[in-house]
Amino acid sequence: MYLKHLSLTNFRTFTRLDLKIPQREIVLVGKNAQGKTSVLEAIYFLAAFTSFQTNTDRQMVNFYEAKKNTLGISRLVAEYKRGKSDHRIEVRLILEPMGVNGQRLRKEILLDGVKKQAGDVIGHFNAVIFVPQMSAIMDGSPDERRRYINLAISQSNPAYARALSDYQQALTQRNALLKALSENGGDRNQLSVWDEAIARLGAQIILWRIEAIQQIEKLASRVHHDLTHESETLRLAYEPAYDPLPKPSGQLGLRLDTPIDRTGLDVKEIQKGFSEKLIELRSEEIARGVTTIGPHRDELRFLANGVDLGEYGSRGQIKTTLLSLKLAEVEWLKERTGEWPVILLDEVMAELDLERRADLLKYVGKSEQVLFTTTDLNLFPREFSDSSEVWDVHDGTISLKNK
Amino acid sequence: MNLPDSIQSLINALERMPGIGPKSASRLAFYLLRAPDDLSLSLALALTELKTKTAFCQECFNITDAGRDRCDVCESRKRDGAVVCIVEESLDVLALERTGAFNGKYHVLQGVLNPIEGIGPDDLKIKQLVARVAKGEIKEVILATNPSMEGDATALYLQGQLKPYGVHVTRLARGLPMGGDLEYADQNTLQRALSGRQDM
Repeated sequence: MYLKHLSLTNFRTFTRLDLKIPQREIVLVGKNAQGKTSVLEAIYFLAAFTSFQTNTDRQMVNFYEAKKNTLGISRLVAEYKRGKSDHRIEVRLILEPMGVNGQRLRKEILLDGVKKQAGDVIGHFNAVIFVPQMSAIMDGSPDERRRYINLAISQSNPAYARALSDYQQALTQRNALLKALSENGGDRNQLSVWDEAIARLGAQIILWRIEAIQQIEKLASRVHHDLTHESETLRLAYEPAYDPLPKPSGQLGLRLDTPIDRTGLDVKEIQKGFSEKLIELRSEEIARGVTTIGPHRDELRFLANGVDLGEYGSRGQIKTTLLSLKLAEVEWLKERTGEWPVILLDEVMAELDLERRADLLKYVGKSEQVLFTTTDLNLFPREFSDSSEVWDVHDGTISLKNK
Repeated sequence: MNLPDSIQSLINALERMPGIGPKSASRLAFYLLRAPDDLSLSLALALTELKTKTAFCQECFNITDAGRDRCDVCESRKRDGAVVCIVEESLDVLALERTGAFNGKYHVLQGVLNPIEGIGPDDLKIKQLVARVAKGEIKEVILATNPSMEGDATALYLQGQLKPYGVHVTRLARGLPMGGDLEYADQNTLQRALSGRQDM
């Protein structure tokens, strides 16, 4: 799929932006803090309905401009082609006053002019984004890795997003009950109804994660092999907090990089094992007042030649791995959905040496649309920048660069 | 400017109603101030009688007139006492009654299990339901709690509680609304409708 038109109103630095986008490589050139990354962020937002960099979406609304008009509204509209048909996604971010000084951000999502829930629209427009600060996926907290994997799977499988939000809801209820039981006591059997919900939804999430991580790993290790000139082997080790296939006892010294084959598991089996484990842990969980196992505690590790990158990876290694991962995600989405996602690469050339730059361009060249940002057009090979569309980004405005 | 206490206290009280904010509350208060006396008087009367002249049916815990032990439905001889429909709130009874399609009796739980809000089985009319079923006259229990996370959990809990009595337990079907458009149904509903499909 590819974008045909993007329109932004009061989104970060842009008061108003209307862009016709061609179906090919596009390079956004400009100094720092001119709005290049914001364009990529906006496009990604239309795919994931959340930003890659903030948990508080309200920062994206251009306060200053929006406040001149009484209502704080930021509007993002994308017209895109998926397969043979044209579609339009519109997101409105509305700041509403609440309480004494508070503000609340309301999101409205329209697909082809019809208002919808995020869960029903996710997966219609797909994008993969690479931003250097995303290295937190490798060296940040496990939360970052879960967020990454959640966003990736949601784009290819909308049912995953729904299961995840239901799971969160059941988890909050269960934790509240565990806390109440630990503080005031009461009938412990009440837990069983929430156990059922957690185990049912959790099993589905675990199974989907197993499947996705395995597929992405396969693709990522191939890309990584290329990008590192066959010097590094990349592995993605999924470590579910409730592990349907726990390491055999007596082998605690099992090496981290020993692959565990979790394929061929059945969702009913996982659910059954998960339920039993919850019953086994019941007393401990009541004492602690929280749910200690389940997808909300899963971990994902990135291993290069058997070394955990989160702990021992060098900066360069982490950047390359992140790029391998992102390129793998692109191919994975193409395999799963039959459509190329729009690729968004922020300052990626500066991170790579000459040879890898060529590798990268070769990889993304297969897809339908790629948007790069850069401070320096010279980082791109001459023939590449000549054949692609180059835009100047200056102080919140974008113009076609004369070549 | 400070408002007279009587107005301010009315505004404060109105603000506590669901769906009413500070602005609506003051608008309502000032409207009542200007309106003819009989409006505020009849409203005041209705409000006082609301609590004093209503009571809960001691069998199904639906709302009924004060001084009565049982509601119309529970007293009726025409209703089938072997089938009991379990709902969350009295308003749900009203909705089911409007269909005219149900001839059994009801049991109003007065809520659903919701640990976040501190609502457990003891806060609902669950013991009373089990006691009703234990008498042995009820053959079928229809669980008609809302198809939400909490409604489903409550239904599951009730199923567990009623199991020992060998009563037939059913759950309300879920799926597409009448007159609905398949294309515009949300995916969750459609998925549930698909998995709950029936033979023709």
